[in-house]
Parts: sequence; structure tokens; C-alpha cells
Amino acid sequence: IQTSAMFSELQKCPRNVLVCERSSFMNEKSRHDKHVSQHYFNYKVSARRYGCDGGVSGVEETGGWGWMGALTALCVLCDPGRFYALSYKTRIDQDDVVALLPLLILSVVKDTYEQLGLEGRPSQYYRVPLGLQVHGPGSKRYDRVLWALREKVPLKTDFLMACHMGTEAWSLPPCLSRYPWKELQASVDTQTLRDLPCPVLHGDDLRGETACEPHAFLEWLGAVAFVICSENEATSFLSTYECPEPRTLVDQAVLCTVTGLLLPEDIHSLLEELRRYFDQPKSSSWLSLVVHGFADSPISWGMAEHGFHKGGENFYSFVLFKNQDYWLHMGTGANDGCPP
Amino acid sequence: MAAFADLCISGTNDKKRLQSIIETAAHLGYSTVAINHLVEVQPKKQEIGKPKCVSELFDHFPIVQGRSRPIRVLNRLTLVVSDTSHFRQTADFKFYDIIAIYPKTEKVFHAACMSCDVDIICIAATEKQPFHFKRPPVFGAIERGVFFEISYAAAIKDSTMRRYTISNAISLMETCKGKNVIVSSGAEKPLELRGPYDIANLGLLFGLSEGDAKAAVSANCRAALLHGETRKTALGIIRTVKKSQPADEREDKEAPPSKKAKLDAM
Repeated sequence: IQTSAMFSELQKCPRNVLVCERSSFMNEKSRHDKHVSQHYFNYKVSARRYGCDGGVSGVEETGGWGWMGALTALCVLCDPGRFYALSYKTRIDQDDVVALLPLLILSVVKDTYEQLGLEGRPSQYYRVPLGLQVHGPGSKRYDRVLWALREKVPLKTDFLMACHMGTEAWSLPPCLSRYPWKELQASVDTQTLRDLPCPVLHGDDLRGETACEPHAFLEWLGAVAFVICSENEATSFLSTYECPEPRTLVDQAVLCTVTGLLLPEDIHSLLEELRRYFDQPKSSSWLSLVVHGFADSPISWGMAEHGFHKGGENFYSFVLFKNQDYWLHMGTGANDGCPP
Repeated sequence: MAAFADLCISGTNDKKRLQSIIETAAHLGYSTVAINHLVEVQPKKQEIGKPKCVSELFDHFPIVQGRSRPIRVLNRLTLVVSDTSHFRQTADFKFYDIIAIYPKTEKVFHAACMSCDVDIICIAATEKQPFHFKRPPVFGAIERGVFFEISYAAAIKDSTMRRYTISNAISLMETCKGKNVIVSSGAEKPLELRGPYDIANLGLLFGLSEGDAKAAVSANCRAALLHGETRKTALGIIRTVKKSQPADEREDKEAPPSKKAKLDAM
């Protein structure tokens, strides 16, 4: 009896959280701006259009970003307020991760935390959020942080950095130019899919009472991204996945993916561009925009903690309708704070 | 959480095979591995011998996948003991980073949990556990910071051994409630290694909770390693390091070396 009780645990998956919201862009109290701007470190954005051809414009304007090698966390502080930075090749559940917002956030392992001598918040990892912008140079806290990062534990890691400068070209602050660095562009990939079974969505029905339920819809979005056949043919041994009912068959769909360190400002402009798409005469009834966060980022939305249990998912997905309504699904994994 | 570790890789004289196992472990994401030297303890005094120096294995250790550090390789000694009187602490122990014991009888298990200076107690994977796990010794071991280890390589090789591994693991979990458990491979070939997240899932099959299963490959392994390091210290706080004196200073010394040597704090 005890064994069967133990194995009932096996049927449960690791916890994940999905928050769904429905509103309209025309609504003044709409929080879409806030959600987008608070999700700082975005790794991949994919925009899809169903039912017509042509690319997704606005994607090419995402800004450049760079990679810097072997920097100490101290150096990154030399010019705070200008750029976003995230430590590269550090796993959140194994290593020390440094993020610069321009608020400096350190997520460190126990040994580092004890050696660092800074006050932080022990949770599943040890988080030290350091509001250096608030206390500027000269304040006691700022000096203590500099001392800790200089004398106690010089955290050395590679960084990914990005800066939203509007129309100006991205340039490196002079204090960092003596370190090895490389400028990178976000990679853009466009695919056209034909004869795609596509679920029917009604703008009012977020829960999916008459149509597709949110989990099933997100699963279908993932299947499309990986071009998984959703016909459930008898001859296919790879996938028995089926598109959720009710569904229609769409002649063409365009899937456009951008990968890199993408900033909230870039996502904003892409979202505005997608909204304008519905002004065209021949447009599909809905579009989707999925934004994935970095699996090893210490935060998901705002200051909410992000962790990595079996998968470091923290993503949000917009479904835009013709009447400027939208659905927003925000999903995180087992070790995360709840999305707003 | 801590970095992933696999604390039991079968030691072998075949250098190439050992290198390929370690490369596979680094590729899978393990930051630390320990090479196991298995010794059957004899009644008469025996030489355990020094392990081969780890730095001879590689000029440049392989980098752990997804991180920028090389993999750390340690030496571990496992003593297969069937009688309590056979277990003696010898000077050779200090060459190994981890000491483990594989008890064959209940008396040895009791002694290992309550008094022996070991870091890891191995649970049988290739045969049915000959004795039941009782609460007092298991809790005694947990209080002392000793860990119970389950190996999964036997489970991969053969279905009968898979049954033994799982049933022994489940009976351990009923007693220890998932505390102080580590899961390691015991791999003899690179193909017998599995990734750390897969082993965290395997831990669910052994009756561990989600958090305990992940800790069994990360945080608990780190704690076992630290337990091994404290064997070289005084009360786990102070460690002495022999300073090598340069030749000219030795001649200047007037008094003979005194018993009270200067201690370097850790």
C-alpha cells in the first residue's frame, strides 16, 4: 500500500504556472506595456501569421548586442544605467549569475554568498539585489558592494550585453573597451508553412469553453515552432500529436524567429508593428507573438525570482485579434515566483 | 543548489577508457567526478595503496558543458567490509578525497552508521539487501552527516539487478525519508552514464521527492565532499599545511623544531 502511495507522486509533473489574461490594446488600463517592459532578458521571439504570405515586418529593427569575455562583476558597474548585461555560460542552479538591469542582481551559490559578505535574501539560491542606482557612488552601500566585489570575491564571468540607444549606434563604454569583446546581431529566421491545421479561436473565449483550452493552445504553438506533424497519421512513428479541435486548415503561415539578447523596448516596437498589421485589407483573424526568457536568468518579471528545476521556462505569449483585443499567457516553471 | 557531481566512476587501469568516461561526464554536465578504487578488506593487515595522481590523466581537463570551468576529478576509496574488526583507519586514507564503505552484514552497517569515519555508505545494487534498514542506525548516520549512496549502472545493464536496485532504494527511503541520499553511476563504460536531470528523474522512481531527487545529484554530493575534506582538518575548522622552508632559512634556525607548530587557519 505504501509503494502505491509513493508512486502516485510519479504521475504528477513538476509544477508549472500559467497566468492568462484577456484585454484590449485600446483599454487604458491594459497592462500589456508593463508586462513587456518588466520582462528584461528575452532570448527568443517568434511572431506568426496565419493565412497569408509575406514576411513579418519590424523584426529587422531589433538592436545589436555584444559579448564580452572574462569580465569581473566590478567592471560591469563602471558605467551603470546604460546597458543590460547577463552573465553568459553560467547555470542558475549551479553557478553564480550576475545580471545588470541597471540594478545589479547577483544570484550566488552558498559558498560565494558566505564569502561575499553582502546582505541578501536566501531562497532556493542566494539572491543579492543591489540597488546601486538608488544609492550612487559615495554612499556606504555602494562602497561596500565595490569592496566585496573587489576584495572578497571577484566574480569573473563572460557577459552578454545590450543597450537600447534608439537610433544611435551601439558603442562600448570606454572603461570596458580593454576587455575582449565581440559585437553580435540578433539572428532572424523565417519559415513559411503550408497546409497547416490551425485551431479556431474566439476572442472572448480565453478559457477555451467552446474552443481551444490555453494549455492545448500553447502546446500547439510549440508543435508548430518545431514543425511537428499534427495529423496523427497511422504511418508516422514520431508523433501522435493532433491539432486541438475545432480546427481549420490554413493555406499558408509565416513563422519568424529572432534569437539574441532582446530588450523589452525591441519587443514593444515589434508588438506595435504587429498591431498595425491588422490595418491591411487582407489579414488573418489572429496573430501570435511568443517571447522566451533566458533559462538561466535570475529574474522573470520585475524582481520575481526565476529558477531552474528541470526546465528554465519563463515565457509569455500574445495572441492578437483583429479588433485589437489580445490574450496574454505567461508561463513559468516549478522554481519561479508567480507571474504578475 | 550546487553543481552536479557523480561520485562513483569505476577506476580502471585502462587510461583511455577512464579518459573517455570523464569526457562523457563533462559533456553531460557533471562538474565533479570521483574515481572509485574498490578494496576488499582482509582480516590480515593489508596495503591499500596510493591512488594514481589525477593530473596524469589529462593535460587539459575537459570543460563542463554549459559552463566555462574544467571538470574536477577526485579519488575515492570504497571498502567492502564483512566484519567490523576488519575496518581499520590507515595512513593511506589521507590520499583519498572520499572514503566509502560497502557493508555486507547488519553489524557492519550499524557500525558504519554510528562510529566509522566514512563519508558514504553504499547500498547494494546487484543483490537483494541481506538485512533490513533500521531507524536508529540510519538516523544516527544522518545526524553525523554520512550519506547513503545508490548506484544506477547495474540497473542499466540487467533487468534483475534493476529490480534489486529499485527495491533496495525504496526500502532505504521508507526509513530515511529521502534525507542524506546521493545517486551515482558506478559506470564502467561511458555508455553507462546518464545526464544529471535524468538521474533527478530516476530519483523519483526510488521514492525521493522532486527537491530531494535533484539534491541527490547536486547539494548532497557537495556536502559529502565537504565531509571528506573535514577529515583533513581539526574539528572542520583548522587545516595545517606543511610549509616548505627554503635552504638558507634552515641554517639560521637556532632552536630545534618544537611540537607547537604554527597553524595556518583555513
